[in-house]
This record gives sequence, structure tokens and C-alpha cells, in this order.
Amino acid sequence: SVQAHKEEDNPQKTMEVNGLTPVPDSYDYDLIVIGGGSGGLAAAKEAAKYEKKVMVLDFVTPTPQGSSWGLGGTCVNVGCIPKKLMHQAALLGQALQDSRKFGWQFTEEVKHNWMTMTESVQNYIGSLNWSYRVALRDKKVTYENAYGEFVGPHTVKATNKKGVEKLYTAERFIIATGERPRYLGIPGDKEYCISSDDLFSLPYCPGRTLVVGASYVALECAGFLAGLGLDVTVMVRSILLRGFDQDMANRIGEYMKEHGVSFIREFVPIKVEQIEEGTPGVLKVTAKSTTGDQIIEGEYNTVLLAIGRDPCTRKVGLDKVGVNINERTGKIPVNDEEQTNVPYVYAVGDILQGKLELTPVAIQAGRLLVQRLYAGATTKCDYVNVPTTVFTPLEYGACGYSEETAVEKFGEENIEVYHSHFWPLEWTVPSRDNNKCYAKIICNIQDNERVIGFHVLGPNAGEVTQGFAAAIKCGLTKEQLDSTVGIHPVCAEV
Amino acid sequence: MGWEEMQVRGYSEFVRTAQSYHGRPIFALFCGDKDAEGRSWCPDCVTAEPVVRKELHNLPDESVFIYCLVGDRAYWKDPNNEFRRNLKLTGVPTLLKYGTPQKLVEEECFKSELVRMLFTED
Repeated sequence: SVQAHKEEDNPQKTMEVNGLTPVPDSYDYDLIVIGGGSGGLAAAKEAAKYEKKVMVLDFVTPTPQGSSWGLGGTCVNVGCIPKKLMHQAALLGQALQDSRKFGWQFTEEVKHNWMTMTESVQNYIGSLNWSYRVALRDKKVTYENAYGEFVGPHTVKATNKKGVEKLYTAERFIIATGERPRYLGIPGDKEYCISSDDLFSLPYCPGRTLVVGASYVALECAGFLAGLGLDVTVMVRSILLRGFDQDMANRIGEYMKEHGVSFIREFVPIKVEQIEEGTPGVLKVTAKSTTGDQIIEGEYNTVLLAIGRDPCTRKVGLDKVGVNINERTGKIPVNDEEQTNVPYVYAVGDILQGKLELTPVAIQAGRLLVQRLYAGATTKCDYVNVPTTVFTPLEYGACGYSEETAVEKFGEENIEVYHSHFWPLEWTVPSRDNNKCYAKIICNIQDNERVIGFHVLGPNAGEVTQGFAAAIKCGLTKEQLDSTVGIHPVCAEV
Repeated sequence: MGWEEMQVRGYSEFVRTAQSYHGRPIFALFCGDKDAEGRSWCPDCVTAEPVVRKELHNLPDESVFIYCLVGDRAYWKDPNNEFRRNLKLTGVPTLLKYGTPQKLVEEECFKSELVRMLFTED
């Protein structure tokens, strides 16, 4: 039997675990949050506001390459934040080129230093990790850098990096463990390939890179690596940006192709071998066609896998408390109040089945959940008309239905699509593409031509889309849009 | 070996001292100059200093605690002073772990919990 370690101020007797842990009469904490990412931290901080006793358990299992990071989750450490900063680095490279046409004169050739960029990005991330530590401590939220897993009803075991185990009990739990990149399951993948978990802290320039995948992660990474001057190839199994409007996805792909990214379509890697060690070394990738028997080979300094992300729900003891998960995907089904099938266990963020994998969604869901639990609120998280942006070299902002989904749901005859190409004024002087930027709105004819889909491809797409998302939430119609006077000269006036 | 304290005044002396301890954990508290009676022109520094000093016993072994007077009020208010420009300090008091993004600024320095966290955790 195992004896549980209790907090000094809890007078509870030690429990004995004989394969069946009895439910304790009083708990160490009101709420334990497993996972210190966007959703978990938002929920924990909100609960502390209502004077609840809260604990956050956050732990990063190192990648096969040994990468790890601090408190804050995927977005802060290996997602949105470093991605956007590196995307910006690439945009600045383009701006430097454009600047000559605007009269700036510099005789030196412009080069990019990967280490300088990475150090700056990691420094910023470090300051964010620290600020979260300060915020939690300041709000009296207990934080442990330990791997949390259920061992019985209302009980989790927290194991720190030294292997020390402690047991804690709570009245309620929120699972917010997020996801990690998927590997291919082919020889050489874990030994030689990297993922987005490694890319943003890579201590050497990746060099000639093969990006495997066609997700937004794959395309965004391929995009900025190419923008920094690297030789980039993207290997795509079938379509680009599954789940997104396919017309927009193809335009993004075309733009990238015309701007230095090679694509290998309808192939999947079957083997990765190391030809030369080094930082970076040289890897040989063997790939097979998805439509025939053709085999191809290629040599790259770095192979970046971006083929999907899997929820971290298989090794957190969910079976010990009876929380159902989708066995195939690992996702957790919840009701519209983020509650699992076990009434005192909730979940937020990327691990939820059928919900969007976005930081602001996780934060909103986490906060509203806690307000419902402890502040008597009733508002549920609204997952409809959530705006998103893909930060590919030509940025893509969207809110609402894709054209395909709108046609499927409402019928082709009931929707009207208005679209337009546009040429950003800033692109005219440096002679950049005049026919690539594009915007379209999809309207529901039967509902006053209500705008049900908004898509824009162009610079600052995220900034443009945010305002339109608010308008769509208010029920924007085509007529209202037409009668709104444009700001000139900006892309958004289109 | 425990920890040791160094008291310095001004930016150059600070940098020289920090560099001489390269390889050891370095913590620094930046405060406004003190007058003849030992009182700083910076009221928040007056509040923070005893709180920080009470937590010094938590410093890891081998660390160095640099107590740095930045200068008079006029010098500090100059937006281009070396502390602002090179160390990116935004206010006094600032307590930081040198070479890392970990720092506490102004009222954060009044909270012994936070000071202790800065001294003891990775």
C-alpha cells in the first residue's frame, strides 16, 4: 500500500491505496487544473479571483530531440507567439527588399542570422514564462512543475522531474493538457526529424528543409523559413489546409510556390536516414507516391514534421476516474458546459472533441467555465463565428463558413458570394503581385443576405478580420456592409 | 559557500562587478541613491529594501547579490540613462536575476513571496 503525502494544514488521516482509493471527506484544493497553457492558466487565475484554493500542474515531457520549455503551454512557447515573431522576421526581410524602391539605399547585402532571431524570440518567451509564474504566485495559485495524472476519484498524483511523487485531492478538476505533434511512425522519424516543438528553439539554422504536412503549422513554418532565405520543400499527402475553404487554401499554395517554396504533392515519407551528422547534418528522405508505386529520394539538412497534433489524454489516468475519451482521436467529449461524463471533471482547450483549437477559445472557455462554477454565471462559451488567421507569407483571415460548408448547409442556390481581387497600395511601388490579394464574403440569401462567411487573403489579414468578426457577431448583412463607408487607402476598404 | 553581497554605484561599476562574477548566479537590486542620512529619494526603494534583505538567506549557494545605487533622481528620470538603455530597466526598485528574463519591478518587490520565488526557483 502507498501512503499519501498531505499538506500540513489538512488534518486528514493518511489514506491507503489498495487498488481502490476511497473518496476523501475534505479536499486539499477546490480546483486542480492539469495543464498550464492558455486554457488552464485562464481558468486557474479566474478561480483565484473568487478566493478558491487552486493548484496548477504543468509539465513538459521533452521532445525526442530533447527540447523542453517553461510555463504557459503551446501558444506561448512553441506555437502562436514564436510563430508570429518568426513570420514577422520573414516579412521584415521582404520589407527590406521593397524599401529600395522607396528610396532606401544600403550597399551591403542583406543576410539573416538564425541565432540572433532565435535568441531574441526565446528571451521574450522567457519573460512570458516568468510573468505567468509571478501572476500565479501573486494570486495565490499553487503551481507545481509536475506531471499530473489521476489515480482515483478526486485524486491526482504529481510527479516532478526528479521523480518525486505527491498526491493531491480536489473537489473539481479541469483537464487542459493540450496536444503534441504527431510522428509518422516510420524508421528514422523520432531520431532525425524535428517538429514545431523543436523548431522555435533550434540552436542552429535548419538549412535546406523538408516540411512534411499541409496543415497551417506546416505552411506557416515553410513560409517563414523560405522568407528567411532557406531552401524549403513541402511534402503534401493530399490537400492543403484540410477544413479550411479550399479555394483560399489553393491560392495560398500558389502564392508560396511562386515565392520560392517547392511542393511535392501526393507523396508520403517512408524512411529517414542520416547521411552526415552535424548541426544541421544531412538527412536522406525516401518517399512513396500515394497514387502509384513511384519512389523518390531527397537530401535535406532538416526534416520538419507537421502532420497533426494528438491530445495528451492517454497517460493521465482518465480510466481511473472513468472519464470517456474518443478512443480513436484521444479527444474528450464534453457537453456545452465543458463538463465530461464525470460530473466533477471538466476540460478545456485543444483536447475537446468538436471544438476549435485556438488560444482565445480555450481562454474564453476556461474563464466562463470558472465563472459558472464559482460566480453563479450562466454564460456558455460561444464557439460560433470564431475568427482565425493563418500566417502564411500571404496571410489569410477567415470568420464563419467556408464556401464548401455554406453550400453544403444552405444549398448553392441560397448563398451568394461576393469577391474581389485587390492590390495593396504599399505593393504598387515595389511592383509586387497585383492579382494575388483577394477577399470574399458569403451571404445567406434567405436571411436578408446575412454575411455568414468572411475570407481575406492579404497583408495584415488578422487585423482586418478581427473587426469584421465583431460585425458578423452582430448579424452583419450585405446591405449594411455596402452602406459602410470605406477607409482609404487601406486593403480593408474592399 | 553561501552567498555574498557587493555594493556598487553607477552603471559602469555594476557591469564590471557582474562580469567579474561570470559563471555564478547573480541577483541585483537597483535603488535610487541615498542621502547623507541613508535615505533614498525613491520611496518604493525604501519600502522594498528590507523585504528583499529578509529573503536573502534563500539565495542559492555560490550566488552574488549586487546592491546597486543607480544615481540621483534627475539621472534616473532621463529616459536615455544607461540602466534604461542597456539593462532595459523601467523603474526602481528593480530586483532581477542577471542574464535571465526574471525580474520584479516596483511594487512586486514589496511581496516577500515573489522575492523568495525569484531567489529560489529555476
